[in-house]
Amino acid sequence: MMKTENRLLDVKDLTIEIDTRSGPATIVDSIDLHVGKGETLGVVGESGCGKSLTMLSLMRLLPNKIRVAKGEAHFDDRDLQKMSNRELRKVRGGDIGFVFQDPMTSLNPVMRIGDQLAEPLIYHRGMSRKQARERAIELLRLVGIPGPEERIQAYPHELSGGMRQRVMIAIGLACEPKLLIADEPTTALDVTIQAQIIDLVKGLREKLGMSVVWITHDLALIAGLVDRVVVLYAGTVVEDAPVDELYANPRHPYTRGLLASIPKLSDAPASRLNSIGGTPPEPGRRPQGCPFAPRCPLAMDICRTHVPKLEPISAAGSHRAACFAVEKAREAA
Amino acid sequence: MSTVQAQPAPLAEEAPVSLWRDAWYRLKRNRLAIFGLCVIVLLAFVALFGPYLTPYDFLSQDLEARNQAPSLAHLFGTDDLGRDVFSRVVYGTRTAFLVAVVVTAIAIVIGTVLGAVAGFFGNPFDRVIMWLTDVTMSVPNLLLVVVINASLKTPIAQWMEARYLETLNPFYRETVWIDFLLVFGSMALISWPPYARLVRAQVLSIRSRPYITAAQALGLSNRIILTRYVIPNALGPLIVAVSAGLGTAMVLESAFSFLGVGVNPPTPSWGNMISDGLRVWQHYPHLLAAPAAVLGLASVAFSFLGDGLNDALNPRGAK
Ligand SMILES: Nc1ncnc2c1ncn2[C@@H]1O[C@H](COP(=O)(O)OP(=O)(O)OP(=O)(O)O)[C@@H](O)[C@H]1O
Ligand code: SF4
Ligand SMILES: [Mg+2]
Repeated sequence: MMKTENRLLDVKDLTIEIDTRSGPATIVDSIDLHVGKGETLGVVGESGCGKSLTMLSLMRLLPNKIRVAKGEAHFDDRDLQKMSNRELRKVRGGDIGFVFQDPMTSLNPVMRIGDQLAEPLIYHRGMSRKQARERAIELLRLVGIPGPEERIQAYPHELSGGMRQRVMIAIGLACEPKLLIADEPTTALDVTIQAQIIDLVKGLREKLGMSVVWITHDLALIAGLVDRVVVLYAGTVVEDAPVDELYANPRHPYTRGLLASIPKLSDAPASRLNSIGGTPPEPGRRPQGCPFAPRCPLAMDICRTHVPKLEPISAAGSHRAACFAVEKAREAA
Repeated sequence: MSTVQAQPAPLAEEAPVSLWRDAWYRLKRNRLAIFGLCVIVLLAFVALFGPYLTPYDFLSQDLEARNQAPSLAHLFGTDDLGRDVFSRVVYGTRTAFLVAVVVTAIAIVIGTVLGAVAGFFGNPFDRVIMWLTDVTMSVPNLLLVVVINASLKTPIAQWMEARYLETLNPFYRETVWIDFLLVFGSMALISWPPYARLVRAQVLSIRSRPYITAAQALGLSNRIILTRYVIPNALGPLIVAVSAGLGTAMVLESAFSFLGVGVNPPTPSWGNMISDGLRVWQHYPHLLAAPAAVLGLASVAFSFLGDGLNDALNPRGAK
């Protein structure tokens, strides 16, 4: 297992709950995650499995009625949950850059994009407005926006979706963070632009030496980008492996389903998860045992009563899965 | 400098126009709104400079020329004291704008502060402020104004007179401003609830927008988020409400004058001219027609402009 000292982000036992009329319901259930320095982690899972909330909780940005019930999140050996608001503000945008899921609604519609880029530079880097402006132009050039000198004057609604996504990435990168968290930064874009943005982040990662968490529900898209993948299902980690290992040797039935359902280029995105029947459980209606049991082709009796733990599969311990069938197979071997 | 070889995606073919210029462009194409705007600009000009340009003083009486029909010498004719109706309407424009601007400004300040506090800080502020809003709105407007005026005006006037007799200080002799204070105050007191509701709703909806979370994720301070992210986004609907509110305030003032609780004669206001004119309209219709027409024109102009602004400022989200 990876040495703890090399971990930039280390999340342990993170549990997130939402207050509902019938009491608190668990949305994210005891997640463990870690990201090494310079490492790129892919976080994969169906819509609604808690990817965004997990990342928002790290920055203490959860919406109303949703809160962290237990768990720790260490960044650079500091506990993000216990930090003072003042310290936290320095981390937000300064050490951790965030690229939000929806480029259409995550930019301030009445502020020029140059100013939106300049704001964090002025706060975190103490730049003057003029310096920040120069840097904003540089950043826009870096993310491949043509004519950045004019573009900094533009308002978000004057840019196409792909351009706005680049602006979001530029904002996330503005202060050269140690960690970039990108929440499905390419879902809204068409395939060629998706590929461009992935190339862009790859190049920037090497240039800046930062760590990246890349959230997506599209396993195929990130194959060439990430070092390691964590597969989430209904708010739990079901499998965790180096990317090549995961593709070559997926163990959890859910991961297998995801991989089997990777679309050909000709497929519509909607057909992605067709090979796994059913839908994930809603928060508050989680089954008693393995959350995947109702949809699992291999489900056994124990799956409906007990929750499988995330256990190492290989001796090296870098590949882990939470599944009784996988355990049984290993014991049999 | 960049080692990254990303092909820039083609930009959507849009002229680079700013948000406000964009809105102005849409507004310009709206004929009614532009008509409204022109009328308002003209009336505002009249309110500012009109009283210096009229041929007669609004108070000067010419008992030789009473109740004259409109003519070249008196464009809107003269009234029962031989005063030039045109000059009085012009001065009434000043009164109308003064009332509308001051009342709306006070109402907006009260409404914005209360609405923003309610929306931003939530309960218990929200509950108390919304209760206050509901109570104010449920009291009949006219009743409240009549009560305020009837109960305060006479005592204050008497007190002032007593002070004057005691001190002979000319400050206590001038009572016109009390009249204005009471009219402005009571009108503002009934006009703020819609602004409070609007601002509260705006703040509530903006507070949960993704760009606010995004701003927080950048480590920006609450002050910057409030002043550069929340308030500018709440401004559009407020501008629309203000435009409509100015018109409403003018009509309201006229209604109060008509009932005798508005601006008092001899200060001309469209409302007290209308109420004077109504008494003799069978014989001298111009005395009613002139102020009523101008009031109607102003109120229509503000409502056209309000509608136009609404259309011009709103479609940005729908695009
Ligand atoms: N503001 C909210 N109020 C109530 N429930 C919410 C809220 N935000 C998220 N949830 C619920 O929490 C669960 C996890 O949401 P989350 O946004 O983390 O999913 P996600 O994995 O990011 O999905 P997607 O791929 O669609 O972005 C979902 O079931 C969702 O319904
Ligand atoms: S634990 Fe059981 S139900 Fe869950 S994934 Fe494994 S086999 Fe399927
Ligand atoms: Mg999400």
